[in-house]
Amino acid sequence: MIYNWKKIVKNGLPILFFTAILEILAGQILQGKQELLYLFPIFLISFPVINSVSGNIGCVLGARLASGLHVGYVTVTLDDKEMHNNLIISLLIGFITYFILAILIYFIALFSNLTKGIGLIEFVSIIIITGFLLLFIISFISVLAAFISFKRGLDPDDIVAPVVTTAGDITGILFLFLILGLFGVGL
Amino acid sequence: MYGKEIMKQSLPLIILCGIGALLTGSTLGLMVDILKNIPGLIVVIPGIIAMRGNISTALGSRLGSAYHLGAIDADNIWNNDLKQNIYGSLILSFIISIFIGLLAYITSVMIGVYPNALKLISIVIIAGIISAIILTLLTISIIYLVFKRGYDPDNITGPALATFGDIITIFCILSSAILIEVIM
Repeated sequence: MIYNWKKIVKNGLPILFFTAILEILAGQILQGKQELLYLFPIFLISFPVINSVSGNIGCVLGARLASGLHVGYVTVTLDDKEMHNNLIISLLIGFITYFILAILIYFIALFSNLTKGIGLIEFVSIIIITGFLLLFIISFISVLAAFISFKRGLDPDDIVAPVVTTAGDITGILFLFLILGLFGVGL
Repeated sequence: MYGKEIMKQSLPLIILCGIGALLTGSTLGLMVDILKNIPGLIVVIPGIIAMRGNISTALGSRLGSAYHLGAIDADNIWNNDLKQNIYGSLILSFIISIFIGLLAYITSVMIGVYPNALKLISIVIIAGIISAIILTLLTISIIYLVFKRGYDPDNITGPALATFGDIITIFCILSSAILIEVIM
C-alpha cells in the first residue's frame, strides 16, 4: 500500500485553504454586485464561461511551457522565442473561443428572454474585451508561475494549474464588472 | 506549422469545455430567485466549484500515478490504495466545505450582510459531500474505462473531470439549496 488518507489530507489542506480564501473574495465581489447580476442575468450565465476559457488556456500554456522547460527547448528568459510563440497562439485561441461562445450565450439568453436592454454587438464586445484583458493577465501569470517554480526546483506541473485558475476567478469577475461599468450597463 | 498543430489539438477541447461552462452558467441563471432568497449563497459558489475541481483533479492525477506505479489496475481496482484515496478526498471535501461556509458567513457579517449561518453552512456541506461522492464515483469509472482500453489516464481525467465537475457541482448546490429551503 502506497497511499494513506491522513497523508493525502495533510498534503492537500494548505493549498485548499489558501484557494478557498481567495475564492471567497471572488464570491464577495459577486455579492457586492449582485443587483446588477439579477437585473442582467445574461452576465450571471457568462461569468463561469469567461473564467473557464482563460483558466483552461492558462493551464494548457503552463503545461506546454513546463514540458518545454523539463525537456530543455524553453529557457527561463522573458525574450524566449518559443515562449512568445506559445503566448501568441494562446491569445489567438482565446479570441476565437470567446467570440464563438459569446454569440452562443447571447442566443441562449435570447431564447430565455434574458437579453433585455443588451444588443448582440454590445454583448459580444463586452465578453471579448473582458476575455482578452483576462487572457493577457492569465498568460502572464502562467509564464511567471511556470518560470519561477522551475527556477526554484519545483515541478511547474503541480503549481501552475491551481495558481492560474484561482487568480483567473478573481480577476475575471473584476474585469467583467469594470468593462460593464465602462459600457454603462446598469447605470 | 507548429502553431497550426497546437491550434488543431487544443481549440476544439477548449471550446467544448467552454460549452460545459455555459451549462454551468445557464443553471446559475435559473437560480436567480433562490440566490435572492438566501443571502450569502452567491458568495460560496466560486469556492465550492474551485474546491471540487481541485480535489477531484488531484484524485484523478493520483490514481493516474498509482496506475503507472503498478499499485492499481483494471483487474485489481477496488483495493486498499484506492480506498485510502477515496477516504482522503471525502475528508478533504468535508473539512473545506465547513471552512467555506464559515468563511462566507464571517466575511458577509463583516460587510453588513447577515446570512442565516445554519442554513448557509448546511447547504455548503450537503452540496460539498454529495458532489464529492458523485465525482469520486465518476473518477473511478473513468479510470476503470481508461485502464480497460489501455490509455494513459493522465491525458483523459483532467479535462473530463473539469468539464463534468462544474456542472455536477452547480446542480448539487441548486438541489441542496432547494432542499434546505423546504425543510428549514
